Amino acid sequence: MSSNQATEQKPNQQQNNLTRMACPDCDLIQTLPNLTIGEDANCIRCNATLFKYKKNSVDRSLAFAITGLILFVIANLFPLISLKALGITQDGTLFSTSVSLLLAERPLLGILIFLTTIFFPALTLVGTITILIQVKTNQINSITAPLFRFLRSTDAWGMLEIFMLAVLVSVVKLGDVADVIFGVSLFAFCLLILALTLLSYSLNPHDVWNKLRDSGGCRL
Amino acid sequence: MNTFSSSPASSSTPSSTPLERGKTAQEENLISCHFCHTLCKLPEVKDSSEQNNIKNAELHCPCCQSVIHSRIPNSLSKTWALLIAAIILYIPANTLPIMTVVLWGDGQPDTIMSGVVHLLDAGMWPLALLIFIASIFIPILKLFILTGLMISIYFKARWKPKDRTLLYRITEFVGRWSMVDIFVIGILVTLVQFGNTANVSPGLGSLSFAAVVILTMFAAHTFDPRLIWDAIQDGSVESQDIENKEIKDQKNNTEKVG
Repeated sequence: MSSNQATEQKPNQQQNNLTRMACPDCDLIQTLPNLTIGEDANCIRCNATLFKYKKNSVDRSLAFAITGLILFVIANLFPLISLKALGITQDGTLFSTSVSLLLAERPLLGILIFLTTIFFPALTLVGTITILIQVKTNQINSITAPLFRFLRSTDAWGMLEIFMLAVLVSVVKLGDVADVIFGVSLFAFCLLILALTLLSYSLNPHDVWNKLRDSGGCRL
Repeated sequence: MNTFSSSPASSSTPSSTPLERGKTAQEENLISCHFCHTLCKLPEVKDSSEQNNIKNAELHCPCCQSVIHSRIPNSLSKTWALLIAAIILYIPANTLPIMTVVLWGDGQPDTIMSGVVHLLDAGMWPLALLIFIASIFIPILKLFILTGLMISIYFKARWKPKDRTLLYRITEFVGRWSMVDIFVIGILVTLVQFGNTANVSPGLGSLSFAAVVILTMFAAHTFDPRLIWDAIQDGSVESQDIENKEIKDQKNNTEKVG
């Protein structure tokens, strides 16, 4: 359904082997226009984003993912915030939050917090690094597709940015009653959120799918 | 397991198709892969028994090997089930205490709403507003939007499909932010452990609330927005006209958004 059939060839056009796709939200088949850097293709009927073309997305995403992984390790090593009252200091790390709920007889909540703040973010970072390295070095193997599919479908379950908001809320709430000490990891944690946001902004899933279409059994 | 050749996009679509009326993948007997968006062709069928076989077979995307389907199977019943469970659990989530704050030996169970009121009393209205939006407004909004969308699909409504799709995208996007209250409880329980002087323990309400958030997230996930548009596709002249007009309107706009 391209309305610009006579697009002149622009210098930095993307290499894309998907020319026709159905909108994921309304199923309308459309021909993808040629995009230049920074452009998005939207569905003509429901305005869903069909395709985005980012400059150097593989390299950039890989850089953000590796940065994120380092920051994630640091953020887990030291306490995020500590509370000082009555001469006692209580430390709060990412991991101790899930453990304390386990101990407070809410094991399901503990597991939920563990999954959303540690398991899925770690998996996203490690998995994205693995896949992007495979894409960069052209070493697509049989686990690439299932792993990337798993990462895409669990994307919504890494909730570190929401945890960040919760840390802010707790700091304000407790600030009245006791001394809140910002831990070493809090800075790493803030940068981690930044790295994750930039990662999800720069990552273009079609880089991976294009590679799979090229190397897999389906040549278009 | 059947693997089908993906449609050779370059040969099957001449690049200069005149724009008359948009066709959906389903009408063209194609299935779009949920993950890699490759258009997959359904195999040709000769008799009805073969058709049944294909209907029941699990189809796999030739490119990424994921299970593909034209519409999410049983999307409506799955979404209804999750939605009704969430609505039922919403009651204990709001009436049972989400946490108990013990200060100098005095226990005080708080529900979500009383927590907001306490924050307001303490003069922390930005925080009260944040918790109100994340824990009360968003879950209600999600439940209402999803129920409304389900009812509109049940009655095959043709009313403003674009806006309804937008509503769906909003629910999908904001849903996770309700988790903020659960995380706050987690952090408070971790930090405020000073024996009898001051401690916080999570209540049963927090569990129900987490269940509501998760169930609505799953409900939004199993809901298939393409069903909104299927009602419009359903043949009648009137709806086609609406759609033609819509596409012509859109044609004037640029297709590329920079």
